[in-house]
This record gives sequence, C-alpha cells and structure tokens, in this order.
Amino acid sequence: MNCRRALPVLALLPFLLPAQSREQRRVRPNPVEARAGHLLYNRSCTMCHGLDGAAGDRAPALGAQRRYLRASTPDLIDAIRNGIKGTNMPSSPLGDSDINKIVAYIHSLRATAADVEVPGDASAGEAVFHGKGDCIKCHMIRGLGGILGPDLSNIGAQRKLDDIRAALTVSKPVPARGYQPVNIVTKAGSRIEGVAKNENNFSIQVLGRDEKLHLILHDEIRELQHEGKSLMPTDAAKRLSPDEFQNLLAFLARQTGSGAQP
Amino acid sequence: MKLSLVAFTLVALAPAQVSYEQLLAPDPANWLHYSGQYHARRHSELQQVSTETVKDLVPAWIFHVPNSRRLESVPIVVDGVMYVSYPNFVYALDARTGRQIWEYQREPALQKGPNRGVAVYGNKVYMGTPDAHLVALDARNGSELWATKIAEAREGYWSPGAPLVIKGKVIQGIAPGEHGLNGILAAFDAETGERLWRWNAIPGPGEPGHETWAGDSWKTGGGNTWLTGSYDPELNLIYQGVGNPAPDFDGDVRKGDNLYTESMVALDADTGKLKWHFQFTPHDVHDWDAVEIPVLVNAPFNGQPRKLLLQANRNGFYYVLDRVTGEFLHGSPFVKLNWASGLTKAGRPIRVPGIEPSLKGTKTCPATSGATNWMSPAVNPATGWFYFVAQEGCGINTKSRDTFRPGGNPFMGTGYVESPEEPWQMYVRALDIATGKLQWEYKQVNSRRYGAGLLSTAGGLIFAGDDQGFLTALDARTGQALWHFNTGEQISGQPMTYAFHGQQYVGIAAGSNVVAFRLHGRQ
Repeated sequence: MNCRRALPVLALLPFLLPAQSREQRRVRPNPVEARAGHLLYNRSCTMCHGLDGAAGDRAPALGAQRRYLRASTPDLIDAIRNGIKGTNMPSSPLGDSDINKIVAYIHSLRATAADVEVPGDASAGEAVFHGKGDCIKCHMIRGLGGILGPDLSNIGAQRKLDDIRAALTVSKPVPARGYQPVNIVTKAGSRIEGVAKNENNFSIQVLGRDEKLHLILHDEIRELQHEGKSLMPTDAAKRLSPDEFQNLLAFLARQTGSGAQP
Repeated sequence: MKLSLVAFTLVALAPAQVSYEQLLAPDPANWLHYSGQYHARRHSELQQVSTETVKDLVPAWIFHVPNSRRLESVPIVVDGVMYVSYPNFVYALDARTGRQIWEYQREPALQKGPNRGVAVYGNKVYMGTPDAHLVALDARNGSELWATKIAEAREGYWSPGAPLVIKGKVIQGIAPGEHGLNGILAAFDAETGERLWRWNAIPGPGEPGHETWAGDSWKTGGGNTWLTGSYDPELNLIYQGVGNPAPDFDGDVRKGDNLYTESMVALDADTGKLKWHFQFTPHDVHDWDAVEIPVLVNAPFNGQPRKLLLQANRNGFYYVLDRVTGEFLHGSPFVKLNWASGLTKAGRPIRVPGIEPSLKGTKTCPATSGATNWMSPAVNPATGWFYFVAQEGCGINTKSRDTFRPGGNPFMGTGYVESPEEPWQMYVRALDIATGKLQWEYKQVNSRRYGAGLLSTAGGLIFAGDDQGFLTALDARTGQALWHFNTGEQISGQPMTYAFHGQQYVGIAAGSNVVAFRLHGRQ
C-alpha cells in the first residue's frame, strides 16, 4: 500500500507545496525490481563496491548519503552503462532491463522509511505512540507532544526504516548532539535536570525535564554531570507486543509532514 | 536603570511567554517588536551603555548564519532567548552567549529573500516565508505547528516582512512590488492560523478609489506591503505604508492617482477596514514605495497636543500627519530634489514638468533607490528629534512599454541607474519633529548602499549601521561619533538592544553574522 495515501488528505493540505517538492526529489523504488536488482548487484558490482551495498575495497558504499554519489535515475543508468571517466568505474555489458533493476536496488539502499513498504496498521501504531509506547511524552508530531526528544513530524522522510527500528531497540554508545542528558547543581543551589541543547567550555543551554530553557554560564555551576545514556528508552520491542511494535514502525514510517529538524 | 533581572541569579526561564500586555508595554530587557514597540520609535529605556560608557563597548559574541548574506532580520529577544531569521530559517540563540538552542528550516528551500525577522506571541514564533506562507513554531524547540498560505507563491508572491501581533491576530503583508501583483495586508488567528481579515491595497470595481485607475490597469496595479507597520492601541488602528504602482516607470498605461499605492493607510485592527488614507506620491512613476516605517508620537503641533504620524518618505519629503484623521500637517524636503517644487496645503506634490522617466533617460533626484528606504528611523524622547538615514544623489530613469506576464515576472516599464554626476551618499540626519528642520547630520563616508537603520537609547545614543560594515554610536544631541566597530560586512539590518542578567547588549545582523556588544569587564 502506498504510505502517502494513508495520510489524511486534510493534514497534508497546508504542506502541499513542500510535499510535492520532496516527492520530486525522492525516487520510490519498485520492490520487485529492487529484489531482482539486489541479486544482480551482488553478482556484478561487489568486486569493487561491497556486498549488499556496503563499502568495498575499491569503491564507495552505494547506500551512503554522500553528496558526490550520483543520485538521479538517469545519472545512475549513465554511470553503469558508460562508466565514470577518470575513475575505475567501467562500462557494463548488462542490458537495459538489468541496469534498471540495479538502479532500483541502489535507490532502495538509499530510501528512507517513507519510501519503502512497511507492513502494519499505522492507526493502531498511532495509538501505541500516544498510549502504551509513551512516545508522546518526549516527542512532538505536528505540534502535539513533548519537546525533550526530536520532533518526529517528518521522521519517515528523514530516516531509514532500519535506523528507526534501531532507535527503538538499540542503545547508542553516545547520546545524540542536542539530546545529551545532564544534571546540574548551580552555585545558587538550583538543581536542573534535562538535555543539553548546546554546550562549550563556557556555557550550556539546557532544556529541562520541566520543558523550560535554562541558559547557564559554567561559572555559575557547582556540579555538572553528563549522563552516559540517552533519555530514549530502547526496550520498545520488549515492552510492546510484536504487532504493537510493527504498527508503531508503520506509523512512524508514514510521518512525512513538516516539523523541526531532529 | 530599569533592568528587571538581578545580576548573577539564575533564572529558570519560562519558555517565551509573551502576552498582549507585554507587547503593549515591553520590559526594556526584551526586544519584542521589529521596531521596538507598537509606536515604532525604536527607542530603548536601557541606559547602561551611554555617552559616558560607550567607549568601553566590545563585542560579546558573533553568531554566523550559515550560507547567508545581507541579513536584514531584526533580532527579537524574550527573556534571554534571541530569535533571528533568514529566508526559510529561524535560529533561537542564548542571547548572553550567542550559542544556538535550536534551528528551524522550512522546505522547500525557495530562496527568495530577504526575511526581516520574526514575531513572538504566547509560546509561538511567527515568520513569513519565501513561498508566501505564515508559519508558527513552538518557541521552545522550533517545531512547526502550522503553516498558512498568505498568497500564491506560484504567482510570484513572497512574504519578507516581520509579522505584527495584535490582540491574538498576526498581521502580515507581502511582496513584491515589481511584478504587477496586487498587494494585501492580512490578519491570521495566532492560535490556529485561520485568516480573519484581508485588506486589498488596490480597490476593485465598486470600491472607493477604484476610479483612480484607468481601464483595467488596477488588475496589475501592485501596491505591496513588504515592511512592518505600526499600531496605536488607543485608536485600534494599524498604520501600513503601501508600495509602488506597477508598471513602476510607465505611468501612461495606468492613468489616475492609483490608490492606495504610495499611501499611508489606517486600518481597523479588528476588521481590516480602511479608516483613512493619505497618498504621498499620486500616480508615482519612480518606484518610491511608501512603506517606510510610520513612527507614532504624541507631541505639540502649532501649540496643540496632537497624535502624530511621522514618515521620511522615499520621495524625499518628511511628512507629519494627524494619525486620528490622516490630515496632512506638514511636509518638507530632506534631500535635494528636482521632481517637485513643494507640496500643496493638502500635501499633494507640486510636480516639476518633464521630470519623469523617458526613452533617453531623465535625471531624477532623489533616485529610485530612494531618499530613504527600509532602514528604520528612531525618535529620542529626550531630544524630541526624529532620526533617520537619508540618501543624497540622483538617478537616471528610463521608460518603455512592458507587457504583464503572470507567474512573478518583472513588470516595470524599464528602470534606473545611478547618476554619474551626482552619485549616492548616505547620511544620518536628525530633524525637529514638527518643523522637519535639520538639527545635525552625520555623513557615512564612502557609504552609498542603503539598508542599515537606527536605534535610539536613553543612554543618549543613536546607533547606526552603514554599508562599510561599521556600527557607530552617535551622540543623540550632536551627531558626534563616540564609538565604532567594523563588523567586516555591509550592514543591511537594524540595531536593537536588550538586557540579560543585569547587562545591556546591543545587537545587529551585520552581513552574514549576528553580533552582540556589551561593556567590557562585565559579564
């Protein structure tokens, strides 16, 4: 099913223009072609590029978001058919149909969650987001929710599905920038717990758990403790049933509206 | 001094809670409006930085706005948080350190500019966009809460001005003036973004003023609202300057006075209904937009206390109007001009024949770039003078027949160049409010590109930017330069001031940076 059509049309209306522009930039790979392309890719391309889109010994990972990598379908077809001058990329003897399948696979490597088919019931996932998952306590979607975590209004267009799944289940070794949990005791005796939106040697800007901003100079601080772990829980797969977890993924993957950059 | 925050006590900041009462009477520690307050006098009661102490003013921090140039955003400061904008971008900064708290980016990245700043009301930050929308952000984290269309971007409209918030309504205008697109001013519900009223700058068939347009010329008449107006809460009137008629330089195809282009209009803030209008340049053929900031003062005029509206107009005349009725009270030239020999008793220009654009080019003073422009003026209550930036010099104006093409294409009837005989030169000038008599002037040597405006403070200072990149503090009484700093890039923004933790700051968007200054040795 086409995820975009699942979004309420009214909610999209104010953002019609941006949505169209994003649509023009994004390529939605055909899943059947992409699967066929995957086999062809692993047969033909992995001598230099790595297996399954990973980086190889002689050429870059084609799933990576690098600016110099060719992005559009015609550019990719041209690179495969004719090679890239001045590099080791040779021209390929493959026919048009096979080249198209490989291109579909490369697009699928780069696709964000909104570009791929995510099974599950998105509206049931929305209920999980608001209820059992407790996501809304820290995350905002289209103006509703908490602010300690990133705004997720556009998360389906910004992150790959695997990244969203990992965020829900795998602890990061280091909290993301702008979301570093800190505990502060000021010289004046105030206690502040929250996340550091920014910090350097001289000042720290903290969004408290009370959702208020605290702008503090280091000179004003008695104790400053950086927590090693993000506030983001990673036990979603344990706390939720498999269906609830999948529905939540389906809901998040469909979030392609406007919102602040996470 | 009136600092409300005690030095060095840590204050837990409520996220940008700006009420209408605060907008009516802002704490001097905050800078809540594009022009400082509703009356647009651009005067601050802060006086830590004064004629005595300004010699110790040093940069506190610099915030670089990535990929930007010629920033025109006036920073808004609420309880130690500064909000600055660039087309499609808003940055929330720690106003004491310049450190970023959050960043908002709007897609699509239509890059039409400039953007002159945001407004903050309640917990929301409002901004006009290059695709002619008004967006509302959560002031705490920059999340977009809603976006509402002001006008059709595909027709060529955009919205560069800083919003004006009045009693739960966000008032926003549009640009451009050069594409034959008719202007509007609109009010939106601050909570939901729903449009509450819309005023059309070009009257349609059956409306008063429509008769001032020949034939169908009103359909592409222009008259835009690209700079923020002012507001009188007692009269409940919004004062909005309206831009040029289109095509700019070819008046033959739009015979008549062309209302309400080149006018000051007073609109009821609740309904958007026109209360009165005054047209500075009827049937303008020089692109002298009348959008310059209308400054509201209460002062004696001919011995009587009056509610006045002051404007230094791009056409070269300084005007004093009665802002209750729109009555013309005074007008006098503030630069050398050759297009009018004076004003009638009603304030209508007495035109000099032959000074209009021509095929070969006609020397016109002031130039189309204007005797003044969007650079903000200021009024200092201690001196009672009106301060503004003037441009001396002339232009050569040409004319040809243009065809309107929809979709945001220029519809100008040709253009202008700088006169080689009388090149442009910028000045800061102080005028007596009632008579327009020059009190002093400060020549900004080598500055001939406009955009940088003024700030007045109770410290007896006038801060002025210039095209050489200098921010300069002038003695408000004498015009003597007491302090200067080279920001390194042409300044096109307007200085402002705020305080936090007992320290006064002076802030300005300069080139691609926001720079804040404070007195040395204080933190």
